[in-house]
Amino acid sequence: MRGVRLLAFDTATPATTVALAIANENVLTRRHEPAPGERPGHVSELLPLALALLAEAGLDVAQLDRLAVGIGPGTFTGLRIGVATARALAHAHDLPLVGVSTLRSLAAGATVHGSGTESPATLAVLDARRGEAFAAAWRAGNAAQPEAEPLLAPAALTPEALAEAVAALPAGVLAVGDGAVRFRDVLAAAGAVVPADDSAAHRVDAAVHARLATVMELDARDTVLPAYLRLPDAELALRRRRATAS
Amino acid sequence: MILAIETSCDDTCAAVVTQDGEIRSNVISSQGIHDRYGGVVPEVASRHHLELIGPVVDDALAQADTTLPELDAVAVTQGPGLVGALLVGVSTAKALAAAHRLPLIPVDHLHGHVAASFLKPSEFEPPFLILIASGGHTLLAHVRDHGGWAGDSIQVLGATHDDAAGEAFDKGARMLGLGYPGGPALQRLAEDGDPKAFAFPTAQQVAGLDFSFSGLKTSLLYKLRDLGEEEAGRRRADLAASYQRAIVETLARRVERALDQTGVQRLALGGGVAANGPLRERMRGLGVEIDVPPIRLCTDNAAMIASAARHLPALPFPDYAALDAYATGERGL
Ligand SMILES: [Zn+2]
Repeated sequence: MRGVRLLAFDTATPATTVALAIANENVLTRRHEPAPGERPGHVSELLPLALALLAEAGLDVAQLDRLAVGIGPGTFTGLRIGVATARALAHAHDLPLVGVSTLRSLAAGATVHGSGTESPATLAVLDARRGEAFAAAWRAGNAAQPEAEPLLAPAALTPEALAEAVAALPAGVLAVGDGAVRFRDVLAAAGAVVPADDSAAHRVDAAVHARLATVMELDARDTVLPAYLRLPDAELALRRRRATAS
Repeated sequence: MILAIETSCDDTCAAVVTQDGEIRSNVISSQGIHDRYGGVVPEVASRHHLELIGPVVDDALAQADTTLPELDAVAVTQGPGLVGALLVGVSTAKALAAAHRLPLIPVDHLHGHVAASFLKPSEFEPPFLILIASGGHTLLAHVRDHGGWAGDSIQVLGATHDDAAGEAFDKGARMLGLGYPGGPALQRLAEDGDPKAFAFPTAQQVAGLDFSFSGLKTSLLYKLRDLGEEEAGRRRADLAASYQRAIVETLARRVERALDQTGVQRLALGGGVAANGPLRERMRGLGVEIDVPPIRLCTDNAAMIASAARHLPALPFPDYAALDAYATGERGL
């Protein structure tokens, strides 16, 4: 029996990462990383990279068994480009679609990249801008188990809250992601271990999404939406005004 | 048949139109959630577009009794507009087209408003002048041919220096305590008022065919202050009627001037403000041949985008895979 043919991508971080699983162990990948100071290339990179992988494998979208998309948290516009693309591709051929937490994939990937073998737990941290971090943690090996509960549920945290959360996790927790690099000092002081800045463990990789998505439950296509973890600014401002008015 | 998608502002739209301009479906999902913020919030609009676009496309295809593989092309509004909102439509359209190796036709939103007049039942043919007035745009243009901005099918004659006409309605309505969006409420209130009770400015200091509404807005603010709360409250209908008349006159005088200058004797109206009764009446009084498409084709919709697409070159698969959106102002307008 052939493996599941699965196209996965993620646009939650400035990178655009795409993977095509065509047989059990065979995963093709493409990646675009904006140069320093350059805007993310999601809208101009995602579909060309996906089509290039399909062409390389000699496959049509219609021949896929499943699609997977990173639902963040991450940049709002990037997430919407990824999710809109995934939903439309799924829509076009009535393909099953899975939404994969970008934090879960990052945590699961740390083990794949060989850095997390001896850590008791993995903490995925993404730069949430505005001086905050998106973070979530799983016990070692659990991030790859769809039914496993996280030790720390995905949330947007200030550096102080992040330090508090880390202190409550098992000592020596492995912290990965662009947020782990950004908040290295806070994390290290709280007892986390952060791999070197250039470690592959910090990169969101759609190949990990692909691996997770093969064993995940399918979502109804129209229920796959970004995990924003933050309300729009206008809504926050409105709630503040109403709170002070009452 | 062309499937078009339009998500430039706060309406999530999809439509199916035939090559000869017959509308098979025209689905518009108005988000109706921006009133609480007193204006369209780009992030909120973008989130809702993403939730609504799938079901809206499904409806448009079902109502047209067709499927994606039966289409000749997919069209999409590329800009101008709110870039985050546009990107939901652009990403969706590209992926739908690519999944079936269909051509894609990127369309300029304002070309879409022009092309609303080309559709049945109007089938209003160039050359004509068009006034596009809405909450997002105020534009006077000479339409020579069906094509878009490439070439000289459409020549812009005048644009606004500040607010759009629809914004002037909304801001006036807010000053009169009518909430948001206030355009229709202001028009209703004006029905009981005397349009000549107060003299509001009509941007006569603005030369040529350009528009301006900021002076009018300021003038209403001062008038309300001068009258005092009680008197202003008593004369709200007169204020509304006079304010509305000033907007209509600001628009109408440029249109008159443009008709004179170009010698063109045919006029189309587009944009949500085209629904305004006194504006329509004033324009009908100009004595030229006039086209006002049904209101569902005047406000933002995807049928007009499909209509414009009929007259534009299609990008073959996969040449459009890297297509990006463009924001308001990025390409001039
Ligand atoms: Zn418009």
